[in-house]
Amino acid sequence: MNALDPITFAVIKSGLDTIVDDMAYAVMRTARSPIVRDVLDYSVTICDAEGRILSQAKTVALHLGAVPDAIEVVRSRFAGDLFPGDVIVLNDPYDGGMHLPDIFMFKPIFAGERLLGFSVVIAHHCDVGGRVPGSNASDSTEIFQEGLRIAPMKLYERGRPNRTLLTIIEKNVRLPELVLGDLDAQYATCNIGEREMLRLFERHGDELERYFDRLIDYGEALTRKAIASWPDGEYRFTDYIDGDGFSLAPIPIVCCITVKGDHLWVDFTGSSPQVKGAINATLSFVKSATYLTIRCALDHDVPNNAGVYRCITVTAPEGSILNPRMPAPVAARALTGYRVVDTVMGALAQIAPKKLMAAGEGGNTVVAIGGYHGEPPKPFVFVDMINGAWGGRADKDGVEGITNPSQNMSNLPIETIEARYPLLMEEYALRPDSGGAGEFRGGLGLVRQYRLLAESAVLQLRADRHEHSPYGLFGGGPAASSRNLIDRGAGFEVLPAKVTLEIGKDTVIRHEQAGGGGWGDPQRRARPAIEADIANGKVTPEAAAKDYGSKR
Amino acid sequence: MTHSARLSVDIGGTFTDLVLLRSDGASFSAKVSSTPEAPEDALVIGMLEVLAAAELRPDGLTEVLHGTTVGSNTLLQKLGARCGLITTRGFRDVLEIGRLRTPGMFDLTWDKPEPLVARRYRLEATERVRADGTVMTPLRLDDVLAAGRFFAAEGIESVAICFLNSYKNPVHERQAATAFAEAFPGIAVTASVDVLPEAGEYERTSTTAVNAYVLPPLRGYLTRLEQKLRAHGVTAPLLIGNSNGGLSSARVAQQKPVFFISSGRSSGAVGALRLGAATDEANLVAFDMGGTTASAALIHRGVLARTHEYEFRAGMSVPSRFIKAGGYMMRVPTVDVAEVGNGAGSIAAIDPAGLLTVGPRSAGAAPGPVCYGRGGTQPTVTDANVVLGLLPPRLAGGSLSLDIAAARAAIDRQLAQPLGLSIEAAAYGIREIANANMVRAIRAVTVERGLDPRDLTLLAFGGSGPVHAADLARTLGITRVLFPPSPGVFTAMGMLAGTVEHHELRALAGRLDRVDAAEVVALSAEMQRAAVAQLTAQGYPAAAIACSYEIDLRLDGQDAALSIPFDRFDAAVLRPAFIAAYRDSYGYTPTDAVEAVALRLHARAQNSEPLDFRALKAGDPGDGEANAARREVHFGRGGAQLTPVLRRAAVTGAIDGPVIIEGPDTTIVIPSGARVAPNATGSLVATLEPVR
Repeated sequence: MNALDPITFAVIKSGLDTIVDDMAYAVMRTARSPIVRDVLDYSVTICDAEGRILSQAKTVALHLGAVPDAIEVVRSRFAGDLFPGDVIVLNDPYDGGMHLPDIFMFKPIFAGERLLGFSVVIAHHCDVGGRVPGSNASDSTEIFQEGLRIAPMKLYERGRPNRTLLTIIEKNVRLPELVLGDLDAQYATCNIGEREMLRLFERHGDELERYFDRLIDYGEALTRKAIASWPDGEYRFTDYIDGDGFSLAPIPIVCCITVKGDHLWVDFTGSSPQVKGAINATLSFVKSATYLTIRCALDHDVPNNAGVYRCITVTAPEGSILNPRMPAPVAARALTGYRVVDTVMGALAQIAPKKLMAAGEGGNTVVAIGGYHGEPPKPFVFVDMINGAWGGRADKDGVEGITNPSQNMSNLPIETIEARYPLLMEEYALRPDSGGAGEFRGGLGLVRQYRLLAESAVLQLRADRHEHSPYGLFGGGPAASSRNLIDRGAGFEVLPAKVTLEIGKDTVIRHEQAGGGGWGDPQRRARPAIEADIANGKVTPEAAAKDYGSKR
Repeated sequence: MTHSARLSVDIGGTFTDLVLLRSDGASFSAKVSSTPEAPEDALVIGMLEVLAAAELRPDGLTEVLHGTTVGSNTLLQKLGARCGLITTRGFRDVLEIGRLRTPGMFDLTWDKPEPLVARRYRLEATERVRADGTVMTPLRLDDVLAAGRFFAAEGIESVAICFLNSYKNPVHERQAATAFAEAFPGIAVTASVDVLPEAGEYERTSTTAVNAYVLPPLRGYLTRLEQKLRAHGVTAPLLIGNSNGGLSSARVAQQKPVFFISSGRSSGAVGALRLGAATDEANLVAFDMGGTTASAALIHRGVLARTHEYEFRAGMSVPSRFIKAGGYMMRVPTVDVAEVGNGAGSIAAIDPAGLLTVGPRSAGAAPGPVCYGRGGTQPTVTDANVVLGLLPPRLAGGSLSLDIAAARAAIDRQLAQPLGLSIEAAAYGIREIANANMVRAIRAVTVERGLDPRDLTLLAFGGSGPVHAADLARTLGITRVLFPPSPGVFTAMGMLAGTVEHHELRALAGRLDRVDAAEVVALSAEMQRAAVAQLTAQGYPAAAIACSYEIDLRLDGQDAALSIPFDRFDAAVLRPAFIAAYRDSYGYTPTDAVEAVALRLHARAQNSEPLDFRALKAGDPGDGEANAARREVHFGRGGAQLTPVLRRAAVTGAIDGPVIIEGPDTTIVIPSGARVAPNATGSLVATLEPVR
């Protein structure tokens, strides 16, 4: 252990895990908007003075892998200009961010004069302005339509709030109380990270940073050990996004993983050029999606720190959908992140099948409904994210009613929605027959149905997997495709996967989500499992006859 | 003269602990082996034992207090009733979908536990209540009756009913429950409004489903227990410890078992609260360490920390309590206990990257630690403590000699050699890592609330708590450690000190500065009337009932509230009190509007003969040898120290560490730099040098 004390090492490791736990809890307790406090679309981490991640909380994984690039921007922009009490925010995808609703906050932690590290909190804000409520539309064509861009700036300077920046934010978002309230929650959480890190420093003194190095080395060692055990070679996989909202042309995501010794190269050459619609993803976000998927193939006790990233090199051609040029729109880029996860998963399943799964639902479906309601009319912005199903696995069925593994998000309670928004919820259920057939069936997707009670509103839907349904593996079948449906009073009609439109009172919107793909030959599925699915109405007798015919 | 007595029984997985408190103040305790197949058998055996010791007949008992793990075991081992659920059309999957999160990340092999009610037994009724409580679609009773016929045919024993927005208007749930109970008297029914009239359909449905699931087994157990007690001539009422650490009649436990899942564990925390009150310790961390887990609860300014919801999971990982994932969610008032999977039986091992780890796997009672010689081969925390000389070479009572050589060999081969450490260094490492894990539980109930553990006293109990407490205190900077009389049966003792409780809740809505003080007064009076009526019906005189009030406040738009106690409602006083509490927790001072969410009343009825910690004598006379004088003990990595070993009864004045104090039920470890002395209530108090 390089002359470091193994016991102190374990104590510091668990101390850092406790700090990020404390921080994650604080966000949930102090946030104002349902998307943060109920859906838990936020993440927290602690970095060392060089910006290396030391420990991550069990929050949205897709955010966390983008922290290294973001903090690099902060460290170079504010070199020599960071002081105790400073707090930096940013959201610009072309300057350290991912998409505008995700506001990063960094607080440098100083022990006296000395920089020890950073508290980092990323939260998805319910609105950052722009042309569509929720600032998340997939049919914008330039970043300038997507809302307020914040380059890395000090929100607090030596403890004093930057009123200018706060006022600009306040004037440019639809729901300033919620946005400023959630920024307060981020700030409170940064302070908790700072306080706890300083306590750790008080206890361990100058030794602490040596242990940080060792902790990162430890993450690297475990990762290299796992990679070294994988057979050298090139592993390829291609998956598709249905279209960008303007064109129905399939958008390929192509990945090639090269295993050589104890290092991985993941290259996305061959993926689509950047597209007109807002599903372009920054390279930092693509790295994040790639890291987290590879992390799933490692043992569970590998610490989630910068050491893991050292073993992985991610590349994507400039000007592609995975590394776009300014001013390409990016608001709905999460979708592309999910497909990167699915694509990397498909390649990795050839390497470490026991730890992976067939494709899940393909990422959450976003349903945003915004407008004015009440007397006098007040603005409302409802953002719902529908999750999810996992694909079948090497020895068991896919989980249903579950977060996408790239996140760790929750759902909005029906009773919260109805109490706060002019909506009536008509169904929230598992969708029978939506899981792909297989020896191990894919999980069922979900159904969510809403009725608008306000006079009118703007509806924005971001779905996918209408055309290219989640794949099965090793002989397992694909899942059912997703569907967006609308009933304006004359029965249900099918809507495109990505759409923004005006709707009137009593319009019913229904999303039927794709399920997870199946794993293994359906003919090998155990008879009791088929019978239990039929008894529980998860698989209809007709579908069972079709998929598992010879068993019946 | 003839005495009466109160009896308290805590049934755990391995031992059933009993404490009898006679009306003259004398106390008697017993520890007998548990009988998991029929837990009441061990209770009766132990009861007869302590009655004999106290020279009392069964009809001399005035109260039997009981902490039971039947509820938690039913959930843990999935032994509950065959259950059905009737819910609003369109929403039968709410229970199975849950809140979507996973307890860990990056683990695609994880499985969500089976829902307590299978999908085929989750049926829907046409009905709808809007979010404002108005009825949109009347209940179709035929749907309820058709469900009942199906359930009856399928052998369903217990049914939960939960409709959307019933917390605003329970009319449909009441209609459905009444009609169902009349038509199907053989099937138990739980309506969600009777267990949790609060918003949040998943939490409410889940809480109701747990109630339905646990109800038949717990009702059956308590019925059998009462019959056995009556058959042995016990006439006293049976009171059950609830998850909130209070006591309720067995009848309540039979109807609302979901409030009794953490029955025993919470009683230990309440015992800590009472002991603290008796010894003027207003700020305590109650630390309980058993065979497989360790837990911590917080008493701050004389108030025991409680929470309004928790999740029952087979595997524990507690500091991340906020994750709603993969457990059976219950939103019921519960003592806020943080638990980690680290106890005396936790196994030590080396992970693939060479890091020493301890727990959460445990050797349990079987095969047990290596030194027990009962087949255990993997070194445990107990083995490490034996090798270090911290534990005596014989188990309590002298019944079992410990195989120190086997423990040394196991640690040497499996840990010390691969790590390149001496046997003692490896053993010390096990202990240190176990301590680091247990520190997380303590931090979860202190640091997470912005409290500095250094301002607190650590109260150590459970079979192994006193073996580790001084080291934990040092790590956290705590300078006072309290060892109660009879730490090993402290939880049973806690119940004797407990009160019968009743809680009321009324919703408030709107800004704090606009709350009508007259309305608060009226609601408070109404809650007080309801609580007093409940408790007087259980036989407590109004004079023995004490009421306290809290108001739940939060910043406008937040979900989570802080409960702020008050005597007289005054918004101008409550706002700064809330802001101060908020700043303590989250490190900044908000300037936003404050919203009032709910009023809470806590009513407590004090038994006329509660256990008085001030009057307790230190532990039972043990049957161990006389003071073993001295042995070699490793307190750290600096080598062994020849250390005095005393029997607890022999500690009559202040003693400087290092010293090992052996009692009949546990061993107290006092390192050097600490001083230990008995206090007036039979506890030992260790004072540690402040760090730095």
